[in-house]
Parts: sequence; C-alpha cells; structure tokens
Amino acid sequence: MNLDDIFDLVSYRIHPEAHIVVDYSTCPSCPHRACTFACPARCYEWNDARDRVDFAYESCLECGTCLLVCDPGALTWNYPAGGYGVRFRAT
Amino acid sequence: MAATEFDAVVVGAGPAGSIAALTLAQKGVKTLLLERGERPGAKNMFGGTLAWCPAPEELIPGFWEKAPWEREVVKRTLTVVAETSATSMVFRSDDVGRPFRGRVTLFRPAFDGWLAAQAQAAGATVVCGCTVEGLVVRDGRVCGVRVGGPNGVVEAPLVVAGDGALSFLAKEAGLHAGVRAEQMAVGVRGLYALDAEEIDGRFGLVRGQGATNEYLGGTDGVRGGGFVYTQTESLSVGLVLHLDSLKASGLAPYDLLERFVGSVHVAPLLRGAQLVEYSAHLLPEAGLSMVPRLSMGGMLVAGDAGGLCYTNGLTQEGMNLALTSGHLAGLVGAEALEVRDMSAARLAAYDERLRESFVFRDLKTYDRAIKLLRRDRLFSDYPEVVGAIMEQLYASDGAPKRRVGAIARNALRDRISIRETLADLIRIGRSYL
Repeated sequence: MNLDDIFDLVSYRIHPEAHIVVDYSTCPSCPHRACTFACPARCYEWNDARDRVDFAYESCLECGTCLLVCDPGALTWNYPAGGYGVRFRAT
Repeated sequence: MAATEFDAVVVGAGPAGSIAALTLAQKGVKTLLLERGERPGAKNMFGGTLAWCPAPEELIPGFWEKAPWEREVVKRTLTVVAETSATSMVFRSDDVGRPFRGRVTLFRPAFDGWLAAQAQAAGATVVCGCTVEGLVVRDGRVCGVRVGGPNGVVEAPLVVAGDGALSFLAKEAGLHAGVRAEQMAVGVRGLYALDAEEIDGRFGLVRGQGATNEYLGGTDGVRGGGFVYTQTESLSVGLVLHLDSLKASGLAPYDLLERFVGSVHVAPLLRGAQLVEYSAHLLPEAGLSMVPRLSMGGMLVAGDAGGLCYTNGLTQEGMNLALTSGHLAGLVGAEALEVRDMSAARLAAYDERLRESFVFRDLKTYDRAIKLLRRDRLFSDYPEVVGAIMEQLYASDGAPKRRVGAIARNALRDRISIRETLADLIRIGRSYL
C-alpha cells in the first residue's frame, strides 16, 4: 500500500462551496491540533506561517471525525448538498 | 414534491431507513425515503458482516436467498497481536444451518441499493441526492423535514431518522446533546480486489464460503482493532479506532492502516490484490450508555443514529440492530398513523418494543464488556503478555520448562501489578461469564 496513492482512489463530485466551515480564530490556542492527524482524509494541515490549519474540504470522506475531535468547537459541520461529496464504488 | 402528500418521511437509505420505509409501505403508508447520496450506498463504506435476524425475512420472504450478500461466514479468526508475535483462535463450522441462521459478508453499495429498491417496489417513493438539513417542529412535535433546494420543506406526520452515526436529527430534536469522541470509533478501510478462487485458497474456503479475521492490538497502543473480511471478489481490510484514544495518541489512522496492511499478519493475504478504494466512517461504540430515548412526538430514531451498534470484543453487531430497529420503527409508526396519534406517549411504544427485542437485551448483556473495551491495557500490555506466554510455552533453550502459571506471572511482572491483574481478571469475568 502506497500511502500517497490511497487518497487518489476516492471519487468525488465536488460542490463549489465547502460543507464544513472552520473558525480559524481558535487554532492558535488549540492544545492538540487533533484534526491535523486524526482526519482520515488529511483535510487539515497545520500552517506555521498563518498559525492555523489550512483546510481542504474537497477530499473529505464525510466521516465526522474532525467534528468530534475539535473540542474548541471551531467547526460548522454539515453534510454536502444532495448528490455532492464522496461517492463510494457501486461495484 | 409539494404536490404529493406523504404520511411518513424516512431519512437515510441505509439498512435502518430502507427497512423502515419498506415496513411502512407494506402497511399502505405513503412513504418518502430520502437519501443524500446520488444512489443508496454511495455514502456507505463497510467491510463487515450481517448476522441473521428475523426482520428482513418477515418483510421479504426468501430474503436470505434473494439479497445480494457476498459470502456465508464459516470461519472466524480472532488474533491477539503483540510486538513480535500473534496468537489466534480459529472457529470454524461449515454448518451454518438450513434454513440459514448464520452470518454473511456484504458489499454495502450493492446491498443498500437492493434494499432501497425493495422499499420502492412496495410503494415507497425513493429520492436520492437529497440532503435533509433539519426538522420542522411545531408545538414540540416533529412534523416534517427541511431539505435543500427550492421546495424547502416536506411535511409528514411521521419522520423516521436513519441518518447515521452523527445523528444530527436526533440532536436537533433534543434527544441527545451531540455524540462525543469518547463514544465513537473511526473505521478506516482499504478495499482490495482479488480473484474469488485466490480468496478461497488463502482463507481455506470453498465456493461461496467466507471468513472474517479480527485483530486485537497491533494499533500502536490506540484502543481498537483490525479486520479482514472476505467478499466475493474483494477483501475489506481496515482498522476501527476509538476516537478519544486516537486523539490522545497523536497518530494518524492512515499511518496505522498502512502498518497493519504491511504487517506479517495481513500482507500475505493481500499479495497480488489491488487496492481499489479507501474510505472512512464513524461507528457508535459506547453501548447502552449512549442510546438516547429513540422516540418523541412525530419522530422515531433507528440504526446507528440511535447508537445501536457495538462490539463486545468477540463479535461486532450493527446491521442486524439497524434492520431490527428500522423494522420496529416502521411497525410502531404505521400503527400510530392508523389511529392518527403521533404523540410522544404513543410513539414511546417503539422504545418499549426495542427493550423487549434482542437489540436492547444484547446491548445490556454485554454492557460490561463494551465498557471493558475502553481500558487501554487491553490493547497494549495484555497482547504483549499473551505473546510472551506463548513464546515461553514453545521455547526450547536447554533450560527446564516451567508451568504456565509461572510463565504468566513472569510475563506480567514488569508490566502490570498482581493487584491490577486480579482487578482486570474480575472485570473480564464479570463482563463475559
């Protein structure tokens, strides 16, 4: 298993707007930055220069891990609009 | 949508929702089944099994012959993984019972699509690509859902929430305060394509038979475990990790998965297999303590949305609980619609029926086991102790052999005190005996 390849195997229909909105103001004081490692889709990456996470919703697997590990409550979390987002294989 | 009046709106075309819609439609209830994926199953990753339960057969005679499941499980292996060794218990029984009373592996996109089609054939209206954004509540009673798009609202006297593990509808209704990390696990899975005959050979199966491999430990101290499930022409390989433990570890689930897939326990099973998909999903794991009241005026909650999913360390149950709760929600909902009483008191019959069923009874029976699995030592120290005992047992180094008890005391000595060990043994005894 080549780690970098696994994320390319997922199919998406990407909505122009993000279904998860991050309130970055809590990032600098976050004690654990758990989203940066716990998110199974690597959507969150720490940005030293900005002292906050960078978030890419496009590769989200819609599992909900980030919502539950982000105890500062920085996330406004919705499922993508109908028919959008991740689509797992039918066969 | 506004032109048609519905008696019931079911949210989510997973096993709980589709069975609820099927039950309602069969009772002549005008039912709308809403699914946010572009097709039922598009949002479901699942490598797992469905254990027999009576509900589907009652609704679809010949269900177990007709449903598109993958393999009949005849072999289950539980492996305790230590740093340098692994100890397995293999259970095999080629007698799954006739009529069938066993357990099957499933490929959820195929199964979910088929089940939703059954609801449709029974008269339910199935609309995919429709995300429910919230509830319509009047006078403390649920009377519809808000959906995206121009039509906005679908009103109906009954709403069945089968909206999955995060259960936003139950939360909005105030049935729970939102699920928490310590109640949930995240499952990550790789789907590997492999010839049916190769699978048969590697797992010691003949045509149509299936195997499940489950692993305790080997997750770098994170509470959780691994699995390999055989589908017809694919393998589901993954980890289930307690979210609070993962968060505390600082480890990434895909790194742990990569290590698991490359381990001596798993890698040989995957030789030549092609990884075709990666996915992740949450699982409720806290047992009865996280199950809220599942009914209120105008709404019933079924499946993962109600926290109805568990592992007791020996087996994993979820789909049978979803199918059974969805069925009961449909029955109670249809009865309430019949007498036009959608009050909380009337719909509380659903909680009552669940309490009488195996769903709540099993959760209660294994409540202590479910709690036991929140002890870190079970996933770190004890697998090493088991490994050390087995290594000593089989060692031949010229020194005289010792009894198993002496080996065990020696293996435990550096890791866990006698007192803690005894306390754990009592806990384990109370959980399972």
